[in-house]
Amino acid sequence: MHGQPVRLRVVRLSLLTRERVFAAALLFPGLLLVVIFAFYPILYSFYLSLHRIILGLPGLGQPFVGLRNYADLLHDRIALHALANTLLFVLSSTLLEVMFGLCIALVMNRHFRGRGFLRASILVPWAIPTVVSSQMWRFIFHDKYGLLNFILFGPDISRYQAWLAAPSIAFAAIVTADVWKTSSFAALLILAGLQTIPDDLYEAARIDGASAWQQFRKITLPLVRPALLVALLFRTMDAFRVFDLVFVMTQGGPADSTNVLQFYGYKKIFAEGLMGYGSTVSVLVFLVTFVTAMVYLRLLGKGMFGNPA
Amino acid sequence: MLLCFLGMLLLTSCGEKKEAGVTTIRFVTWKPNQPEAWDEIFRIFHQENPAIMVQAETGPHSSTAFHDLLTQKLKNRSKDADVFLMDVIWTAEFAAAGWAEPLDKVMPQTERDRFIRSAIVANTYDGLLYGIPLFIDSGVLFYRKDLLAKYGFYPPRTWDELVHQARTITAGEAAEAREISGFSGQFKQYEGLVCNMLEYLLGNGGDILSPVSGRAAIAEQPSVDAVRFVRDSIIGGIAPKGVLTYQEPESLDLFLQGRAVFLRSWPYAWEIANDPARSQIAGKVALAKLPHFAGGKSYATLGGWQVGISAFSQKKEAAGIFARFLGSERTQKILALRAGRAPTRTALYTDAEVLAANPHFSDMKEVFLSAYPRPRSPLYPALSNILQRYFSKAISDRNSDIQREAEEATGEIDRLLSLTP
Amino acid sequence: MKKTLFFSAAFLIVWLSLLPFLWFLATSLKTEVEITAIPPVLLPSATLHFYRTSIEQYDLLHYAKNSVIVAGLTTCITLSVSLFAGYALARLRLRAKGLILGCLLMVSMFPQISIAGPVWRILQSLGWLNSYQGLILPYVTLTLPLGIWIVASFFRELPAELEDAARVDGCGHLQTLFRVMLPLAAPGIFTAAILIFIYAWNEFLFALLIMTQQDYQTLPVGIALFQGQYTLPWGEIAAASTIATVPLVILVFFFQKRIIRGLSAGAIKG
Repeated sequence: MHGQPVRLRVVRLSLLTRERVFAAALLFPGLLLVVIFAFYPILYSFYLSLHRIILGLPGLGQPFVGLRNYADLLHDRIALHALANTLLFVLSSTLLEVMFGLCIALVMNRHFRGRGFLRASILVPWAIPTVVSSQMWRFIFHDKYGLLNFILFGPDISRYQAWLAAPSIAFAAIVTADVWKTSSFAALLILAGLQTIPDDLYEAARIDGASAWQQFRKITLPLVRPALLVALLFRTMDAFRVFDLVFVMTQGGPADSTNVLQFYGYKKIFAEGLMGYGSTVSVLVFLVTFVTAMVYLRLLGKGMFGNPA
Repeated sequence: MLLCFLGMLLLTSCGEKKEAGVTTIRFVTWKPNQPEAWDEIFRIFHQENPAIMVQAETGPHSSTAFHDLLTQKLKNRSKDADVFLMDVIWTAEFAAAGWAEPLDKVMPQTERDRFIRSAIVANTYDGLLYGIPLFIDSGVLFYRKDLLAKYGFYPPRTWDELVHQARTITAGEAAEAREISGFSGQFKQYEGLVCNMLEYLLGNGGDILSPVSGRAAIAEQPSVDAVRFVRDSIIGGIAPKGVLTYQEPESLDLFLQGRAVFLRSWPYAWEIANDPARSQIAGKVALAKLPHFAGGKSYATLGGWQVGISAFSQKKEAAGIFARFLGSERTQKILALRAGRAPTRTALYTDAEVLAANPHFSDMKEVFLSAYPRPRSPLYPALSNILQRYFSKAISDRNSDIQREAEEATGEIDRLLSLTP
Repeated sequence: MKKTLFFSAAFLIVWLSLLPFLWFLATSLKTEVEITAIPPVLLPSATLHFYRTSIEQYDLLHYAKNSVIVAGLTTCITLSVSLFAGYALARLRLRAKGLILGCLLMVSMFPQISIAGPVWRILQSLGWLNSYQGLILPYVTLTLPLGIWIVASFFRELPAELEDAARVDGCGHLQTLFRVMLPLAAPGIFTAAILIFIYAWNEFLFALLIMTQQDYQTLPVGIALFQGQYTLPWGEIAAASTIATVPLVILVFFFQKRIIRGLSAGAIKG
């Protein structure tokens, strides 16, 4: 009578162990790739940022300079300007995207004929390669052949504007191109949130005589808030990565008004060959993104990590 | 056409690999405007050197993009680049980084003396030659000779004259309901902006780096005044605002459509501007030296492309033969006749055939000979980015404090240059 | 009144979403003269001229071939890796599950530039710059979080009884995965495939850095670098852009529901 349950326990334990070993084996290839091509490079970037490495001057060697590059970065007004541009870009584009996304989601949440077509249409901007949409918008904003001038001024070519020549408008143009491309993504996430709101809540509100606006304020907005935050999180993280738009549309100009950190880091590392200092910029990009993500995750609570079965 | 040719090249190279004694070298080049000229150059070379197979790889034809591609290859010590084209500003960088092979044996002193001096100087670093100048570029002023004649003007000698003429013609044409801008050039934030601005600085007695101290000279009075002139009188005056987004193609496009009186560009534009299939102003174009400021002297920025050999090439001998061939009088003549490229060998400026095809060469010879190089530094790409930023800031904003911006940029440049040994 | 308002909003959304692309599509079908007309000409004369020149002079099909190879292989590899990992995370008992999911989430948020330099160096030391595997492996890494997340969320929804039944029948874990779970999770896998494919098809920065040789460059790199020093090929850019976009538009119109499902699965806890 004594031996039986003990043996059973041993078998169970080994079953559990075997399952764990098996699971680890299944996870191994993926984790290996992630370690080699994501985590190791981040650490390596940090290592490089502590050195002075100038590819154009191999004679200097690769001396360890401690935090010198970081000290330089604090006094690099171009980098600080790029940081400000990046933050402004992230803030304005994500807020606009979530706003438009909410509008689109509210429309899509209704049942009507042609909803499928609407849904597919809004997915088109999302699916288009960013390089293509950048070229598209560069052409739309063109000072002579552009569609925007034609829509605004028709055949009166004397009033045609060179949109991308004015620093603040060039920046707005990049935000516009980004909002156009990714509002639909925000819309889909918000829509998923909207669909979890039970219809009877609205039913009850209507019986109580609440107006559409009141229903929106008191029911929709509070209940869709988690989805809004998730949309904000995803859009924010993605907006920090803006590169293609700048590369194709403006190359950072005019007057450096569209220079963002990702582009600045790319220039430093790959065009100017300042590997050490450029890595410092890329570590800064990482830290800014990371801190922002942590703040969001705090706001969202632990729910984001999902609830493993 | 070129594709077929490259295809044939590949096919034949595959076929011939089995034969003993055929060396295949890889040539990194850009997509040419007139592929026929290059087809002919390759054909002649292969006829005369059956033992060397040249495989051309075409990169993007934008200096910056091509630079990034080529330097990636060289940083990678790639063996798939034996011979390559270099923009004139890269020699110092490639030499200091140990990417380019010294060519003093390929191109001995006696040969070098036959080239335009500034082109050889631009390719020399620490006393060694790293590039063979293939063709020269220098800033020139294109103008509508029909319009200047209509209003009784001679080509402008000073910038003030140019502004005056442009205003008069624009106003006069507008009265007849024809929309035309005064000036077109390249003012986007990119390398071309440095080329354009350098000409204004020099024409006013300023410079980017002081030739005496080697330190930044952009915050000195003549340089600052020249930049202010560009902001107030060119961008804020006779040029359309769009020039702040223009590189070479856009600026030329405006001119070709008959929508600009003056255009600052490179000699290649001559060919296109006079081609009735692509230009609405064919036959109405003339070329002149760039203007200068009162009391100054006219300068043009030196541009152009060089042939270099990779330090990592395993076939340096064959590469040398090909590079020397590209720098030969014959090749340069083909490029001059078929592609309108200005030769770097002085003898070709008295060649009857070349002059018949490019009548402007004889007038422009003096400009080409005296074209002014941009600073030579192994850190030129970083230096150029500082300059692009500064110039773009100074001219894009009407209210920019040019003096302050210039001083900030001066500090950045001096800090950067202090890194070089 | 309310209805009109609603439908005009819907109409506006559709129109704004499609207009920029339609304008570029029209541009690609114009002649040189029509493109450079001021003011712009709205309707093209429907010539395929720029499609021909972009194929003949700009090697468009070559870029397209590379894009198909890179995006196709990335999709296959990411899917198989995610399949195993997603199954393990969704259905098996495992330590540090939360940590692993958190790490994956982090990877999906890495700014590319933070890893670009080192990735370039790693590939250089392997001699994999300018090779398909050199671009595919980073792509697989960057799409893995998305793939695993979606596949796991689909696995999680399958009832546990199925698995238990398979166990009782004597299937091992691997057999359970392939015989029972895989067929049921097929829609999820397909969804993940579409999203991964679109990501790999569209990516630009890594492609630009890793593929310096024209022979290996993908469509986005080609389209970004078409602009020459002395030429302004708007027609060719528009034609190439259309070719790069049409496959995606078809995917979107056929599989919109799956895509929407996949995007929400990736984001909403599930």
